Amino acid sequence: MTAYNTIAFDPSRCELCNDCDACITACAQVKSGSDDPLYSRIKIVAGFNGNPPELALCRQCGDPECVKSCPSTALTKNPDTGLIDWEKSLCVDCLLCTVGCSYGGITYNATLKHVAKCDLCDGDPACVKACPSGALSYITSAGIFNEQHEREDLFVPGLSACQGCNSEMIMRHSLRKVGPDTVLATPPGCIPGMGSVGFNGTTGTKVPVFHPLLTNTASMLAGLKKQYNRMGRNVTAMALAGDGGAGDVGFQSLSGAAERNDQILFICVDNEGYMNTGMQASGSTSYGSWTTTTPVGSEMKGKRTSQKNLAMIMMNHNCEYVATASTAFVEDYYEKLDKALAASERGFAYLHIYSPCPTGWRFPSSQTIEVCRKGVETNFAPLWEYERGGDLHFTHPIDNPLPVEAYLNLSGKYRHVNAEQLACIQQQVNERVRTLKRYAGQ
Amino acid sequence: MATPALKLKHPGCAQSIVCDGNEAAAWAVALARPDVVAVYPITPQSSLVEYVSQFIADGKIEAELMNVEGEHSVLSALHGAALAGGRTYTATCGPGLAFMFEPYWRTPGMRLPIVASLVTRDGITPQCVWGGQQDAMTMKETGWIQIYCETVQEVLDTTVMAYRIAEHHDVMLPVNICHDGNYLSYGVTQVEVPEQSAVDDYLGEKNINWHVALDPLRPMAVDPLTGGAGGPGPAKFVAYRKGLCQGMQNALGVIEQAHADWAEIFGRDYAPLVEEYRLDDADYALVTIGSMTGAAKDAVDSARERGQKVGLIKIKTFRPFPVAAMTRALKKVRAVGVVDRSVHYGWDCGPLYQEVLSCLYRAGQPIAAGSFIGGLAGADLTEGHFARAIERTAQLLAGDEFDSPVWLNEHD
Amino acid sequence: MNTTHYLVAGASHAGLEAVHRIRLVDETSPITLVTRDAHAPYSPTILPYVVSGQSAPERVVLRPADYFLQHNVTLISDNELVSIDETGKQVTLKSGDRWQYAKLLLATGADPIIPPIPGLSETPYHVLRTMQHAIDLRDHAGKVKRAVVLGAGLIGMHGAENLRHAGLDVTIVEMCDQVLPGYFDARAAAVIEHAFNANGIRMLMGSRVVRVEPLGDGCRITLENGDSLEADLLLVATGVKPQLDYLKGTSVQVDQGILVDRRMRTDAPHIWAAGDVAQAADFYGEEKVMMGILPDAVTQGAVAAMDMTEDHALKPYIGGVPINTYTFFGQQAISVGQSLADASLEELTRVDEDHGRYLKILLKENRLQGISSINQEMDAGIMWQLILRKVDLTPVKDAFIARPLETGRALMSSTWR
Repeated sequence: MTAYNTIAFDPSRCELCNDCDACITACAQVKSGSDDPLYSRIKIVAGFNGNPPELALCRQCGDPECVKSCPSTALTKNPDTGLIDWEKSLCVDCLLCTVGCSYGGITYNATLKHVAKCDLCDGDPACVKACPSGALSYITSAGIFNEQHEREDLFVPGLSACQGCNSEMIMRHSLRKVGPDTVLATPPGCIPGMGSVGFNGTTGTKVPVFHPLLTNTASMLAGLKKQYNRMGRNVTAMALAGDGGAGDVGFQSLSGAAERNDQILFICVDNEGYMNTGMQASGSTSYGSWTTTTPVGSEMKGKRTSQKNLAMIMMNHNCEYVATASTAFVEDYYEKLDKALAASERGFAYLHIYSPCPTGWRFPSSQTIEVCRKGVETNFAPLWEYERGGDLHFTHPIDNPLPVEAYLNLSGKYRHVNAEQLACIQQQVNERVRTLKRYAGQ
Repeated sequence: MATPALKLKHPGCAQSIVCDGNEAAAWAVALARPDVVAVYPITPQSSLVEYVSQFIADGKIEAELMNVEGEHSVLSALHGAALAGGRTYTATCGPGLAFMFEPYWRTPGMRLPIVASLVTRDGITPQCVWGGQQDAMTMKETGWIQIYCETVQEVLDTTVMAYRIAEHHDVMLPVNICHDGNYLSYGVTQVEVPEQSAVDDYLGEKNINWHVALDPLRPMAVDPLTGGAGGPGPAKFVAYRKGLCQGMQNALGVIEQAHADWAEIFGRDYAPLVEEYRLDDADYALVTIGSMTGAAKDAVDSARERGQKVGLIKIKTFRPFPVAAMTRALKKVRAVGVVDRSVHYGWDCGPLYQEVLSCLYRAGQPIAAGSFIGGLAGADLTEGHFARAIERTAQLLAGDEFDSPVWLNEHD
Repeated sequence: MNTTHYLVAGASHAGLEAVHRIRLVDETSPITLVTRDAHAPYSPTILPYVVSGQSAPERVVLRPADYFLQHNVTLISDNELVSIDETGKQVTLKSGDRWQYAKLLLATGADPIIPPIPGLSETPYHVLRTMQHAIDLRDHAGKVKRAVVLGAGLIGMHGAENLRHAGLDVTIVEMCDQVLPGYFDARAAAVIEHAFNANGIRMLMGSRVVRVEPLGDGCRITLENGDSLEADLLLVATGVKPQLDYLKGTSVQVDQGILVDRRMRTDAPHIWAAGDVAQAADFYGEEKVMMGILPDAVTQGAVAAMDMTEDHALKPYIGGVPINTYTFFGQQAISVGQSLADASLEELTRVDEDHGRYLKILLKENRLQGISSINQEMDAGIMWQLILRKVDLTPVKDAFIARPLETGRALMSSTWR
């Protein structure tokens, strides 16, 4: 399988309701030299009954029905670009392609007397450039997936993670990128728990993998890396640790390794608690969260204190590289992973991946990425990076954040949150962003 | 003022120096050529890691020095280094050892041949900064080899030997070389430093991670989650645990051979497991451990001059416990007084005493035995203390019995 | 004896889709594809355009030769099934070769119906079902002036228009009173008929041919009313039906076509059928129906292949929905689902005579049953999905009736994420 670049549409940002038709006009202009929306291959339609606007546009489907319904071979799926190409000289105007499309992506233009469809403007779509609100974006992360696809998945198939697990995606993608010349340490938690360290003489990982103590991942890797340096061998010392193993009981060794600037790629997969052992609270559990040790009852309404911001703490260690990341913004993550990997050749690199847990947070397994996305878009989980000696830098600044409810409402662990707690969480989010902005020199 | 050269008494030695036990251990570390040394200071070990650090700073030891933020990380870093194939060293004691405990009791099961000096210190309950063997004795059931030294020279020699023992393919276990805090750590004497090339020959090629490694060239999962109630788990875990026990038993012979070879090359002959002192014609004996033995031997000599037929049994290797050697020694006498520098809370006696009782039972030799406890928290154990212990042991021979231990420093 | 795992008979849309789907989940088991055609795979739908010269035969190949090589498919052309031994799981081909199969898909399509008109068998005439038919017709049309087309079904109408485009004088003779009966209602048919007339095609509706006879290089056609026509070229396009002689002696049950269940299984073990040869579930009723339209052939081929490969993602065939997208002389007639109202349906019709536009919506309990249009922008695929998914239009009914295009797009787009 190959992944392709595509146009994404975020209806919540669309200004159609304010009579914006910039994308439609831009398309009509580029394709037909006309402002008449009839010539546009992208159509934005009003949502029914007050819902956000909707999009009629070729989705460049993977196994396209329009191509299969074409008797003349005028439509073909380009295996290199993923584009569904339409060849005018072959088309017989039978309109069978329009039967194949469920999204109005290929339509008959009565003036031009033939069908028309989006061709992505050779990879530089005019509609995206014209969109003033960011509702349309051209997603080029496909290249990353294709590149990764060529690399070996260094975990075995069939690890027993929960359905919808963000951690499994993170670990598989990360290790593919980091590559086989790696020693991986995964302290107790979901990542070894799903079988990556193996059972009874078997292994779940194709690189050497160690199941260190919950407490000593960073120092153990530090010693290992010292020995490989001594031997003149370039081996990446990589940790995939949960927030408890990184920031609670393992924090001393983490802090020590960061202070010594040991050459380690340390990835913290933060699911805000001890999810592997039954959803107990950790220092990373956010205020108000239900967990099995911060339950909801008549006297307690979830966690009573705020979480520690481990990424900022690590930044204050003046590490070679520190960044936050989210799987909803995978291009951003891959760029950071590249930088972190390079930084780990020089010293300590720390990545903090915000990782919602469908099982422990109580949301449907299909919603993991949406929770990730809303975490970022509400500024609950801002995306930033820091390089030694520089300023903090927002990599995906959210200028008009959604209210934090848009994020909280997705997870059952916040279901009980009352107005007072909600205000408190919003205030914490605001304060955190304010602090980060100070570090960013804003 | 020029220091006059000290005369070398033994072959295979490069120079003779005057130093304390901590410096002697540092010289041993230099001779063993470790790859990675991780340090965190704690009294009375601190000067040892200072010496090691200075040796590294001076190029006398060519190793990676890791100044880590606590003993927990000290041993964790050595785990990583050993799994990558490095020869490693550290030293600790007392509260540091307690803080190290989590990685410490994981080490033997991973079969990592790490060598660590324990500059023994009494327990911190309620509080203590002085010498004593309570720290080491608390760790006796963790699977580490424990070897106790009597003299500063023995500290140097045994610390080098420890690598030969730990890295032996039939052993592959971590070794603690225990030397008494205050008495050996700070006691200064003349010490002969072996020739580096002779030590290199003695230790041979190092091969630390032939059996278990974190190495991309031969990827494996190290310590996967083994065990559980079903499938292959229980049998596999038994294989791990039984193998560790077997390694401990194998160590007895390896320790003897290491000492024999050492004696041949360097001319210093130590009893590897159990030393018998004036025992052959003795009616009764003291049993000692560590640096106290010197004063105890003096007391035995004095008693002999008075006509008392007393001898001495010193244990050097405490873990694994040298059951055969100890039984052989005990069979020569009809009463023993066992002097411990620590306590066994559960039995109200010293831990060595309790092990001696086990030996006697196993040998079918129910001779009279008494427990003496002294030298806690840095207290001195003098010839006078041992003279009293000899007297009380003689009374055991005469039919006296005492169930409670004799606390030798109780009335100092 | 040759052996294969999958034997697919027929290399048009159903057969090709089946091969594609098999290879999605089974990369290794041998596939053998048998086609009676000597040409590389093509769509029967394209043939009228070959006649007119708009489409060149070599440019309408549905799968390039290396596709079969790359996907480890053995392609046997110019050959066909003559018998099946369902017990022995073997077929015999016209060439005499025998093939052992594990799973057999029959996607052999349909053949023209030749009406029992006196004199026809002695008279030269054309049919239009294969590439060779199209090439012969094209070559013949290039040399003559007058064409008569028997039948105003899709092949006849497409054929007639393309012969007209090729420069011939064309007459259509149709027994029914309207063109494209069963596809469009009378009003839409009238618009289409008008356009044909306006473009110089003579439309003889409600006319029965009683005799055909050779006349020089052409023929004479005599009608029931006594009129007679002379033609240089005669195209018989009075419908299609599957040719099923190769099923003799098997337990495959046949009505108009091969009867299949919702997984495209025939009554015989290890034998499936899909496409124009198959008679499968109707979306609207209990009776199995012959669909004969391209998108349905694709769907059926996919369902059959997924069942053959035990693909867990298989969703049983939901039933055929009539769909026609018909372009004629620059105009468009689109019909999705039912085209004729009955007492159980709510009918909403909008006519714009000035622009020749027409729209008819048929609803049943606020769910779309059918929609037909002339010269209206229409997303046939969206309407098809609204029917198949039985989308309840109650919350958007007014909007849907007023703006079916936009409302349909909004409804389907909202299912995307």
